[in-house]
Amino acid sequence: MADAFSEASDRSEDDSQDVMTPAELIAKLEQAWLNEKFSPELMESKSEIVECVMEQLTHMEGNLQRVRKGDIKASIHRMEIDRIRFVLSSYLRSRLRKIEKYFPHILEKEKSRAEGDPSFLSPEEFAFAKEYLANTESYLKTVALRHMPPNLQTVDMLKAVPKPCLDSFVFLRVHERQENILVEPETDEQREYAIDLEEGSQHLMRYSTIAPLVASGAVQLI
Amino acid sequence: MDPSEVEFLAEKEMVTIISNFSLDKMYLIGGDLGPFNPGLPVNVPLWLALNLKQRQKCRIVPPEWMDVEKLEEIREQERKEETFTPIPNPHYMELTKLLLNHASDNIPKADEIRTLVKDIWDTRVAKLRLSADSFISQLEAHAKLDNLTLMEINTTRTFLLDSLNSMYKLRASLQPQPAAKGHHY
Repeated sequence: MADAFSEASDRSEDDSQDVMTPAELIAKLEQAWLNEKFSPELMESKSEIVECVMEQLTHMEGNLQRVRKGDIKASIHRMEIDRIRFVLSSYLRSRLRKIEKYFPHILEKEKSRAEGDPSFLSPEEFAFAKEYLANTESYLKTVALRHMPPNLQTVDMLKAVPKPCLDSFVFLRVHERQENILVEPETDEQREYAIDLEEGSQHLMRYSTIAPLVASGAVQLI
Repeated sequence: MDPSEVEFLAEKEMVTIISNFSLDKMYLIGGDLGPFNPGLPVNVPLWLALNLKQRQKCRIVPPEWMDVEKLEEIREQERKEETFTPIPNPHYMELTKLLLNHASDNIPKADEIRTLVKDIWDTRVAKLRLSADSFISQLEAHAKLDNLTLMEINTTRTFLLDSLNSMYKLRASLQPQPAAKGHHY
């Protein structure tokens, strides 16, 4: 009993800045997954969550190596691991899909990012985006551009690739109450009006109106 | 979102099972489970309940709301009200489907429940279509969707959002813009 107690208190000291249980971590990953799935633009990279989840999975898989086959406990753990791994890869895949779709704009945003601001891309995603840009450019060059008259041999990727449409409508659920959210009118005859987002309520509105709230975690896309 | 992914989320809902084996408390990443004792009820996520059921290691206790009388009440309420009534579980449709497909022998009056839930679903989705129609024809910019479940939202998501976006683009190209902001390719 004494041992267990001292171990627990040790741990709470270690994690004093970051008190997140594994269950909360998984919940965070699921939130990030759904937000990424439904938001029209690439969200801020959650590399920290991804790394922590990977750590949990590797740790658990390591433990399972020592368990004999056919053990019911092991099979339950394995099922849980598979479920978490599914969310994790679906999350990373939806990010890659957006990077492939909007790479020039994402790289531009990354370039203009102020020193110290959190990056929108993980280092691996950044390398992927750069490589994707280089490959696309060299592909266009070899296939078509070099056969063009000299004055038409360049393509501005920023103009050639459409931007993410931030005015898209999204469904969302409110985690923290928000007041006075301005809803812009759809037509010139309508007037803009303010609404309050009650905790737990669900809404359909334009992503651009609530984008900062998604980033801060006050609302969740669904 | 694929319906199977909504189902995946529904599988996290907790259900009560009565296991026929014993097992110590388990420490999963997502939380602790158990201990399991033969004949004693224990709460587990649905994914585990279904797996144990398939291996014939447990009996699933149907959720409290999965009851003919309660569902009949909900159905009447749903038909009477114009808005969406609160539903006993945010994943009622997926839970019904999964439980009835894999554990119908543990659920009394399974066929009646299937029909009732289908009725409730149909009523709600009809309302959803009506409100989507008025949302579009009135050019609304905001809608409150309380009590709507994820699966219900998912049935209209692609169609509704794509239509709204296309209409927005069409309208935007009608209105003269001072500086050409839209893309023309």
